[in-house]
Amino acid sequence: MEFTARYQDGKTASSRDVICIIDLASDPVMLAILDAGTREIVDRWPADECHLLHSRMMELRIGNRQRPAGARLAVTGIENMKAALGVLPKLNQHQRADYWKQARIIGLATAALLSVIVAYLYGIPLLADRLVTFFPPEWESKIGATADAQIEASLTGGKGYAVCETNPNTVANKAITRFTELAFAGLNSPFAPTVTVVRSDVPNAFALPGGRTYYLSSLIQASRTPDEFAGVLAHELGHVYYRHGMQGLISTSTTGLLVGFVLGDLTGLSVAGAVGASLIDNRFSRQSEAQADDFAGKTAQRLGFSPSGLVDLLDRVAKDDAFSKALALFQNHPLTDDRRAALEALDTKDPGARPAFTTEEWNAIRDMCKPPPPPPLPDVVTPAETTP
Amino acid sequence: MTDTTAEARTGRVEFTGGRQEMLGIILRGYALMIPTIGLYRFWQATWKRRFYWQNTVIDGEPIEYTGTASQLLLGFFFALAFFLPIYIAFFVLSMQDVDFVLLGYAAIAAVVWFLMGYAVYRARDFRLSRTLWRGIRFDLKGNAFAYALRRFFWSIANVLTLGLIYPWMGSSLWRYRWRHTWYGDRKFEIAGNWKTIAGPYYSAYFLNVIALGATGGWIGSTGDFTMVGNVPVPGPIGISMCIGCVLVLAFSLAFYRTRVASRMLSTVSVGDAKLSVKLGTGALFGQFAVYVVAVVALLILLALTAAIALGGVYAAAAAGGQTPDAEALVSLFSSGTTNVILLIVAYLVILGAFGMLAELILSFGWWVLLARGASIANPDSLRTVQATAEDKALIGQGLADALNVGAY
Repeated sequence: MEFTARYQDGKTASSRDVICIIDLASDPVMLAILDAGTREIVDRWPADECHLLHSRMMELRIGNRQRPAGARLAVTGIENMKAALGVLPKLNQHQRADYWKQARIIGLATAALLSVIVAYLYGIPLLADRLVTFFPPEWESKIGATADAQIEASLTGGKGYAVCETNPNTVANKAITRFTELAFAGLNSPFAPTVTVVRSDVPNAFALPGGRTYYLSSLIQASRTPDEFAGVLAHELGHVYYRHGMQGLISTSTTGLLVGFVLGDLTGLSVAGAVGASLIDNRFSRQSEAQADDFAGKTAQRLGFSPSGLVDLLDRVAKDDAFSKALALFQNHPLTDDRRAALEALDTKDPGARPAFTTEEWNAIRDMCKPPPPPPLPDVVTPAETTP
Repeated sequence: MTDTTAEARTGRVEFTGGRQEMLGIILRGYALMIPTIGLYRFWQATWKRRFYWQNTVIDGEPIEYTGTASQLLLGFFFALAFFLPIYIAFFVLSMQDVDFVLLGYAAIAAVVWFLMGYAVYRARDFRLSRTLWRGIRFDLKGNAFAYALRRFFWSIANVLTLGLIYPWMGSSLWRYRWRHTWYGDRKFEIAGNWKTIAGPYYSAYFLNVIALGATGGWIGSTGDFTMVGNVPVPGPIGISMCIGCVLVLAFSLAFYRTRVASRMLSTVSVGDAKLSVKLGTGALFGQFAVYVVAVVALLILLALTAAIALGGVYAAAAAGGQTPDAEALVSLFSSGTTNVILLIVAYLVILGAFGMLAELILSFGWWVLLARGASIANPDSLRTVQATAEDKALIGQGLADALNVGAY
């Protein structure tokens, strides 16, 4: 049993034609390599240590574990290749073993990555409350101050907020402060939120890390009852209490790393990276929103007003259309219907429930930022009467 | 078998692989990429390299790629070590004052640009040290940091001079790379300098400047454009001039790449063996043209597929007795999860199809062009090259993968 091959010893860059003959009599079994021209023995390879390397089609490349890493027998031609595989039956075994080894590495690596992803998706929301406690509240206040300046500049085009009532001692401001303090009473939060009502056409309210909370006047105008106003305010205070701004910062940083790892592009510049990261971040954001709703609902229970106001107001100013329902996974807020269900479950339907603000307070709050009077109507030009 | 008449002998370089084999590798890769959450890309890259390397036959002996996918995987883990501080810096920066944040971003961009040079060099080291020919491996010595510094400062100078200094930058980097490249115990040399690059570079540069200047000047001076919103849209002659600019760009790119590769690589030698490379500009320009045609054909195909799929849904809705209107279509897609999965699948199909075309036409084409255009004078002088110890460094390739600068 023999076959011909090209031989390289892995020590010098020369290549020669050889004849390989199996020597079954020796122990261990050896593969004798003879020069094709002179039939001198060039080398003897331990047959069991031979292994196959990846090669192009119609070629076998054989290495040997007891020879230099570059030592090779290259076998071409079907008859020759069959002969080589027949003489060295271990070759196929080694190849199969390598195949399974690779499959095992891929399998293990995939399982490991999958468990990291699952642990991340489900673990971060559970851990987030504890993770934020590693960051001192002063940091968070500082971040809030930076974000405050940026948002103010971008919302007002650099002109600065038009604060509705700057005096903290007006009836409306005092009512809002009373509500805020009641909502945070006994919670041991390191933050004392401050609520500022600002004139704006955008119906919105937002809370920044550290407790600065803004309520835009359009949203007050859209509120029909004091409980609607109180519900949204309590929801924003929930963000402050749970430090969601800080949680968001932590999770977006780590999400980028994770998505970058999966896609193999840690620069995070690809579209896939951005989409993937936003899918995950929005999932966390929806969980935060649900948590803030829960805070609002519990605050309503404690203070004895109706928690459904929050979602009644949302229904009017931010109704989900078919499109946003279809792309719910891309939304950073839960769907309004789901929020309603969760909040109505917290409604005690207590017949003694009374509004969060007295009529007098509520009227003062509504009047904080009256919409500017409509521009005067142009003078009606009446055709000059001609005196007969 | 040492014939002394070999002095004048020239060794040919051939490429024996076919596109359909590459297509098979790519399709198998895509199929396995999804169940492995993207991890198969390391195996995919390894298979592609094996294919390119083993089918490149230099003077009768194929080169061999000995790297493994696990090395790439490990290398990528090492690369994470470079990125963690950057991510932490981003995190800390996001809490600072606005001016400071901008400064910080600029610093991070500089660090990443520097790291790219480092990664490119180490990736070349990784590939060379895992390339065998006649049982002897190549290697890249030198200092990757030194290379990255050179590249970094040269590129700043290049930006400041509007690219006019590039021939000096290019030749400095080419020379650093090749003068630290080894085959076994024999060092590579390169004789090319800035003059070798300058001719093709400046021709291409000024050709584009003239084309752009003429087009811009003509459209501006004749007022041959209409404003659509804030965007000026040129008239028919202006449009054809713009298309001309794109053609000039593609042609000059093909010209520059083939000329510089031919001229620079033809000055490369290892001991008494000399490399010679002849590449035709027309061949590369032809590949660009084929690529554009293929991309257009692919877009039409994808659009047709989408139209047929939508038509099928419409027909099914009609057959089911429902009025086939937009409302009914929207209701089919009303589940968030289904939609996102559909979107992701569509994205992957499009991305995968374009990646496949780029690999099959551009990468494959360039490699084959280079291989078939190359020959080695006096290859027998290499028979006395001796092997050196193994190189097991992994890190650079992983970093290059992470930074998206790896080639082949």
